[in-house]
Amino acid sequence: MGRRIVGPSRIFPFLTPCIAYFCILLAGCGTVDLEIRQGYTNSNMQPRSVAILPFTLEEPDPEEVSPHELFRTCFYNYFSYLGYVDLPLKTVDQKLSRAGLTDSNKILELSPEKLRRILGVDAVIRGRVLAANNFTGGIHAETSIHAKIDMLDLRTGDILWETEHKEMIYSGILSPTIVDIIRDQMENVKVHQAYFKTAEIFSVNMMKEIPDPADSWNEEIRLPKITYIETNLKPDLKLKPSDRIYVSLKGDPGLTGYFDIGSWKSNIPLKETVPGLYTGSYTIKASDKVTSSLIIGSLKSKNGLIGKKFYKNGMAQFDSSSTNGP
Amino acid sequence: MTLTTKNISALAWYRPLGMFLFAILISGCATDLQTKVAGNLNSLSKDQTVAILPIETSHLGQKEMADMFRHGLYANLKQSKFNLLEKYIVDGLLKQNNLNDPASFLTINPMQFGEILGVDAVVFSRINKVERTYFILHSSIELSISIQMVDTRTGEILWRAEQTEHDFSGIGKIPTGIFTALLAPIQFVTNKFNLRKMTAKMLDKLTALVKKPENAETNSKFENPVIAKKATIDLKKIEELQQLKAEWTQALALDKEMEPEVLQDGTHQEAEKETRALKNDPSSLAPQAMDKIQNEGPLRSGVRKVLDVEGELAPLPTVPQPKGQEAGTPAPLNMWKATLTTPTHIEDGEKQPRELVKSGKNIKYAPTRSAAFYTVQVGAYKTKAYAQNLSNKLVKKGYNAFVTRNNKQIYRVQVEKFKNKEDALKLAELIRKKEKLKNFVARATAG
Repeated sequence: MGRRIVGPSRIFPFLTPCIAYFCILLAGCGTVDLEIRQGYTNSNMQPRSVAILPFTLEEPDPEEVSPHELFRTCFYNYFSYLGYVDLPLKTVDQKLSRAGLTDSNKILELSPEKLRRILGVDAVIRGRVLAANNFTGGIHAETSIHAKIDMLDLRTGDILWETEHKEMIYSGILSPTIVDIIRDQMENVKVHQAYFKTAEIFSVNMMKEIPDPADSWNEEIRLPKITYIETNLKPDLKLKPSDRIYVSLKGDPGLTGYFDIGSWKSNIPLKETVPGLYTGSYTIKASDKVTSSLIIGSLKSKNGLIGKKFYKNGMAQFDSSSTNGP
Repeated sequence: MTLTTKNISALAWYRPLGMFLFAILISGCATDLQTKVAGNLNSLSKDQTVAILPIETSHLGQKEMADMFRHGLYANLKQSKFNLLEKYIVDGLLKQNNLNDPASFLTINPMQFGEILGVDAVVFSRINKVERTYFILHSSIELSISIQMVDTRTGEILWRAEQTEHDFSGIGKIPTGIFTALLAPIQFVTNKFNLRKMTAKMLDKLTALVKKPENAETNSKFENPVIAKKATIDLKKIEELQQLKAEWTQALALDKEMEPEVLQDGTHQEAEKETRALKNDPSSLAPQAMDKIQNEGPLRSGVRKVLDVEGELAPLPTVPQPKGQEAGTPAPLNMWKATLTTPTHIEDGEKQPRELVKSGKNIKYAPTRSAAFYTVQVGAYKTKAYAQNLSNKLVKKGYNAFVTRNNKQIYRVQVEKFKNKEDALKLAELIRKKEKLKNFVARATAG
């Protein structure tokens, strides 16, 4: 028995909607088209420190939310995963504010030299949100962010990369199931979350395209070195209120030293008495809620890296009858 | 408004339909999240740094998912109260220390990560499952992860969570048409966007409590501090070491008072000098010196035990010095301790020729194998009655206790005579535990 061959006329009516459906689905998860304008072959030329400038919004703020600020925060959270030394947003804002710059639009117009002087970084990321939209009505729900983002090298004034992209979360008549439509509608009504989610997807998609110099710095990473740590703890010594723990450590000179007693007392300062030798002490108070703890010495460098060393010859042990031990 | 019979019958139809839709809506994307935080998580601030370690996967195909998850976890925890160590620094330092296998991270003491990375806490995570299934009109994705944050300073588990997220596409979700019924399940499992969306949703729920630990309800908090297994073991060893050192110090004091007969005067002083040096910096001692200390009667058991415990503490045999830099990485914990335990002459101490007796002085104290024995010394008194009293008590309890007197007129209470030192050590441990009597193993000569 021969098989009946299905003719093209039977397939076409199904094929067209199928293609249309897939086109719509794929349109929802667009990739970011990032144009790299200045690629550095020499890793030494790559910008190391980066600040993310306040993002601007071309249209007036939608009610109660600032999508551009949300987007900046979200972008920063994802961007700091890459191998740049990124200035915290708070620090960027403080530095700009100290320089009398509070208008985001005016900040974008500043010359690279002036920005470098104010922020002290190699490059900045500038973001302009061209349009932001959140709409829920009938069976249609949509949240979108359309933005233009670039990285400007403050040392040369060159734009290293730039992109203009629209990220949209859409749900409506073309959604595959009724349950999805209802769920998406319910989620889209929460405007703040909907913008954040859209910004998140935008950021994730962008991060895949932004050059990551992490591998270039691998060999250069070096924590402050501590060669030894010493304390006055003795094996049979039970500490009581007003007893004093002395700590001294030897390591790289010119750094900020401190020590911790377990996790209940942190950042007790150490003074550098001679280059590379740090000493300090802590007097036990009756109100201290103490447990047997290890003493940990730390040295912090200017770039925020911390070297730690545990004093492992014994723990600080406390006389539980005289302190508020647990 | 009054309800007519028609309205009521219409409601009777809509209600089950509504409930059915609602049930699907809820069950469509099921989440099973078990999370607990410790009270000490609240004490972390921007002064404390946390490192997110590379994610362990259950098989190779999950690498992409692991990267995506780690990136998302980082972005989410960036909104928390503590500081995060940048990913490239974490990875760079781990690489420098040859720690490339996330599966082995949980076997390493968190304190060690504290030194290697310079952080106050570390986040371990594992992807247990990434399962995508498809069967004609139905497809589903299931993700399962487990995670824990450990304080490197104390070994305490600050946050522990297990989460399983499940979503599906199929007839159950009421397709909008025949094409969507056929194609949506395929699209659901093949489009990476759905996996990304699910991961983002999962992370949002997962990290909610860590971002705001003050909102944790009682059932989401650990009742008592939970210490990570590896940290517990090592902390116990440190405590044991400390206790042994305390006992050792006590034994030394006693030993000094009694001038043990097995030592010559000069050699004893020398051994003490070395012992003091060991306390300050054990790495400064030459193996020969260590060997000499090991061979001295009352000191020997203490020193050996301390060294045994310290040796057990020696971690990370896989960590070599970083390539091309001398000072890049902190030295592994107890590296010096590891070297001290390795020389075989510590164990073979008794087989070494003893130079103490070569001078010929005090030859009567020179231990000879035939006459020497090991005993457990539990006390030493200047008054004989006290010594006798303790001895009698022990005898009543069934111990073979006796009192001896040395040339300084000190009365020593000793228990049992052994040819084998190991037996003496066992008895010493038993007396310490059962009778709560501090003691040490001494070597003496018969008669």
